[in-house]
Amino acid sequence: MTDSPTPLSDVELVRRAQAGDTLAMASLLDRLAPYVGRICGAIALGSGADAAQETLIAVFRGLRGLAQPEAYRGWVRAIAVREAVRIARRTPTVPADLSRLPAKGDPQLAADVQDVLHRLSPEHRAILVLRDLEDLDEQTVAELLEVPKGTVKSRLARARASFRKAWTA
Amino acid sequence: MSDTPQWPVARLDEVGRLRALAAGVRGAAVTERIVAAPVADVWALLSDFEGSFGLIEPDMRRVRVLSRSSGPDGEHVELLARSRFGFRARLVGVHRPGWFWAQSRFLLIGMAAAEAADGRTRVALTGGIRVPGQAALVPFGVRRAARGALDRLDRRIGDTLGTR
Repeated sequence: MTDSPTPLSDVELVRRAQAGDTLAMASLLDRLAPYVGRICGAIALGSGADAAQETLIAVFRGLRGLAQPEAYRGWVRAIAVREAVRIARRTPTVPADLSRLPAKGDPQLAADVQDVLHRLSPEHRAILVLRDLEDLDEQTVAELLEVPKGTVKSRLARARASFRKAWTA
Repeated sequence: MSDTPQWPVARLDEVGRLRALAAGVRGAAVTERIVAAPVADVWALLSDFEGSFGLIEPDMRRVRVLSRSSGPDGEHVELLARSRFGFRARLVGVHRPGWFWAQSRFLLIGMAAAEAADGRTRVALTGGIRVPGQAALVPFGVRRAARGALDRLDRRIGDTLGTR
């Protein structure tokens, strides 16, 4: 049973879920949904809910076969990024002019940032999410997205510099 | 203004969550329908465990609430269900508005409801006879049972709205 006085760790929940306890699966879903929602929302934008659902379906289908429960967060993250990019590719984007981001304090900033995100490619957004939201290093990002480290560096540099400039200027 | 970008966050509704969770249960099927009533009315019927719940869910004869307690994820409930065929099941689960998931050794029940764009309600059901102790269902008649339950829900919604 999963309603013991002390909350179970994520890893213990994964183990119980793998053993067939569907209440542990439900508890794991409660914990994973916000995390998956952040990754999928930032990459897939308006299709974020679809991406989150596809991610969680893949997670629960594959959970029994996960060999290392301790590594489940990274496994979930990889699925979320893959599904979010796949679903976001269905919606074509117009390349953004990142030099025209508004300055900090501009009341239109929030709306404009949303606009910039919409005009970045899904792969670009994935790199921003993994570096700035998930705080991963470039090597890990490159491995996750299956691209050379140099590609991550070059794709990221302009977008992130412009992005951060808008908040720190 | 925050110094960090406000990233968009995706939120999965309860029906989407049910589909995700059911994907981890071998043999499970999710049956979904739009019900012509507000979500609060629909959920009031589905979560009346000692009343309409037992009349809507397949093969139930009587349901008794053994315990209820609040938890961080919702209300933790323990139900004793008796089937029309004499079987008893002690279901343990979590309930909150729009969400119910419960298991016994031999039974699994999942229900979800979310508001549709037009003010009606999306309802999704899953569950059936559980392979003992496993995240798996005996894959016979699960869709037919869920359709029957949704038909009974539709009729009760009609009765409820008709008496107002």
